[in-house]
Amino acid sequence: MTTALQTLTGHKDRVWNVSWNPQGTILTTCGTDHSIRIWAKEGDTWTSKNVMSDAHSRTVRCVAWSPCGNTLASASFDATVNIWDCKTADIECVATLEGHDNEVKCVSWSASGSLLATCSRDKSVWVWEVGEDDEYECLAVMPSHTQDVKKVTFHPSLDILASASYDNSIKLYKESNDDWSVFCTLNGHESTVWSIAFDGSGQRLASCSDDRTVKIWQEYQPGNNEGIATPNNEPAWKCVCTLSGFHNRAIYDIAWCRLTGAIATSCGDDVIHVFKEQPQADKNAPMFDLILTIPQAHTDDVNSVSWNPTVAGLLASGSDDCTVKLWDFTHIF
Amino acid sequence: MAGFSGVLKLTDLDDFIAPSQECIKPVKVEQKAGRGVIRIDDSDGLDVMAEPPKYEKAKITLNDCLACSGCITSAEVVLVSQQSHDELYRILEENNKKVESERLVVVLSLSPQSVLSIAAKYSMETDECIQKLAGYFKSLGVNYVFDTNFARTFSLLEAQKEFITRYKEKDSNPKAIPMLASTCPGWICYAEKTHGSYILPYISSTKSPQQVMGSLVKDLWATQKGITPDKIYHATVMPCFDKKLEAARDDFYNEVYSTREVDCVITSVEVEQMLIRDDITLPSFNSSPLDTDLSSGSMITSHPGSASGGYAHNVFIHAAKELFDKDQDKLEWKTLRNTDFREVTLQVNGETVLRFALAYGFRNIQNLVQKLKRGKSPYHYVEVMACPSGCLNGGAQIRPENGVSAKDLVTKLEEAYENIPISNPESESKVATVYTEWLGGGDSEKVKKFLHTQYKSIEKTTSALGIKW
Repeated sequence: MTTALQTLTGHKDRVWNVSWNPQGTILTTCGTDHSIRIWAKEGDTWTSKNVMSDAHSRTVRCVAWSPCGNTLASASFDATVNIWDCKTADIECVATLEGHDNEVKCVSWSASGSLLATCSRDKSVWVWEVGEDDEYECLAVMPSHTQDVKKVTFHPSLDILASASYDNSIKLYKESNDDWSVFCTLNGHESTVWSIAFDGSGQRLASCSDDRTVKIWQEYQPGNNEGIATPNNEPAWKCVCTLSGFHNRAIYDIAWCRLTGAIATSCGDDVIHVFKEQPQADKNAPMFDLILTIPQAHTDDVNSVSWNPTVAGLLASGSDDCTVKLWDFTHIF
Repeated sequence: MAGFSGVLKLTDLDDFIAPSQECIKPVKVEQKAGRGVIRIDDSDGLDVMAEPPKYEKAKITLNDCLACSGCITSAEVVLVSQQSHDELYRILEENNKKVESERLVVVLSLSPQSVLSIAAKYSMETDECIQKLAGYFKSLGVNYVFDTNFARTFSLLEAQKEFITRYKEKDSNPKAIPMLASTCPGWICYAEKTHGSYILPYISSTKSPQQVMGSLVKDLWATQKGITPDKIYHATVMPCFDKKLEAARDDFYNEVYSTREVDCVITSVEVEQMLIRDDITLPSFNSSPLDTDLSSGSMITSHPGSASGGYAHNVFIHAAKELFDKDQDKLEWKTLRNTDFREVTLQVNGETVLRFALAYGFRNIQNLVQKLKRGKSPYHYVEVMACPSGCLNGGAQIRPENGVSAKDLVTKLEEAYENIPISNPESESKVATVYTEWLGGGDSEKVKKFLHTQYKSIEKTTSALGIKW
């Protein structure tokens, strides 16, 4: 089936990011029109429930729900991150995180919900602590990348952070002695790394890049059976698979479904691809099959894809064509 | 951008591109009417050619850079490197070639943090190190070597006085308290560029020891010696590059004599380079005692409190006595969120009347400023330093040897710092003399002129040319 389940219109300009709440009942989208839109299912159709039209003074680049599902964070080109209390239908902005020098590109919550990470064109990655009374305190400022940082994402269960940058690298961070620092840098992509996604276990990371490839990285703990060196007694990450030849343009987003293990990519060639690992594959040399291609999924670059966390096979995508589309891929699983 | 504090590096996060490509500072070109050049190609047309206009070489000074936030300072870095040990070598070489009567008097002021950094590197005791350094620099042609702790006494005394004044007017002036320390140029530059007029009123107007030293050398001492300020070349040795930016500020330029209060700042790592270049084994070099005119003594002495100057400590103790008649001696600092964020309080009749903090490093500065913006800061005074662990861990301090962690080195330097004999700022008689004889007493115009300074917010100029993708 190459037609969308539903097309959601409303955004007046490009849609940068689509994000589900942890319960999978709300889809949140944001974009260049400064707005954040909340969509929920009414009967059989998804409808617009809320439009926060002046959520920021510039493009809203990314939205992310806290694991408890009550709080929404939005990152904007206006250099701030807003925190929204969504416990009731009366959504209120309860805090604004300032400090980045210019456009904030991404925001991510830790699995516990007690930490927040942000990244920006100012090349730094910040970690914030969620305090009482909507007080957010800066825990660390890490200027480790040498260029614009496009994406940050927390590990699915541990307080480990990953970031992807225009400088072609991916960095992994963790805390020791009250301070956050880089413990591993993943090099291999030949151009901007636009997005990264951990799998459900957190031992694998998928990355997508302007170099039109997807890379799968595997974690090797100290003392691993494969004999991979782990300098400084820190886990090492190695690239175990590269998917090339499938995409014709830069790959802007990648999503790894925790329910099905499927990987979805969204590309500048307007296409959405879905890959799945071959079941008998060797952990150290996995093989991924392309199981679905949606040519012309949108009429312009597809900026974001996201799997619904509770409904297997339900995918959302957002595009430069100002629309959001929902896809039902349950038949392929 | 090695050598700068993490805070300055973060506010100036653009790529290194030569200033000629990126600089958006509008350079004024004198427009002279009339002279045009008419050239017509190839074909047989008019061929009126006047002289091609001679343009003046466009110069961007360090000050232009500080004032403009546009290109973010790859130009800053280039220019700052001009104020370096190479420059000092050059000046000394030139000076040595001049006739006696034409020569500049070269003065060098050593900061305690730099001395400790160098001492650790060469495994020397503090006193031994400072004397060897004095010996070394004198062998290069420096005429007088002082330490900056004498100057620091003034900074501490002024900060103490200023706090009392501010505390007393806190109910009528919302921007009086908290008072934020002003001696760290990384913090000041960041505050001016990023938070502007909001935060500046909270910052103490007291000058840093480096700049107080500048005033002492080029005014008081110059007068005593019968030399004009422009005949003195004053260099300082500091733990970070941020101090170079401080020395270059407009406010510290003497217009009458067209001379800077501090002409050149070199750093601990640069001294290390100089010693390597000259193939010097410092421990076996000749010793020379410190010159005592403007030093804390012929041997270095220090002040109680943190190794970044002890501002919070001394202001607290003075305030406790002056405002509440409480004698405090050893302060109990409570570590909050992390070791670079600590606080101390004074309770009187169950009420907290004084709450001071140390906030070192960018994340703590961030949190402090954000809390202030929201009106939720509980502090009366904060000693703000851009570098985590303070000046001993400055951006241009000598790196630890292989196998030694930066943390361990800082701990070692802190121990060495604490072993320097201490004197309380109030008890230095030489300082009292300077106040009465040179400055004309406690709050005179001269005190304001020589021991205090001001700040101005720098507008961010967002020109398309300035954006780097």
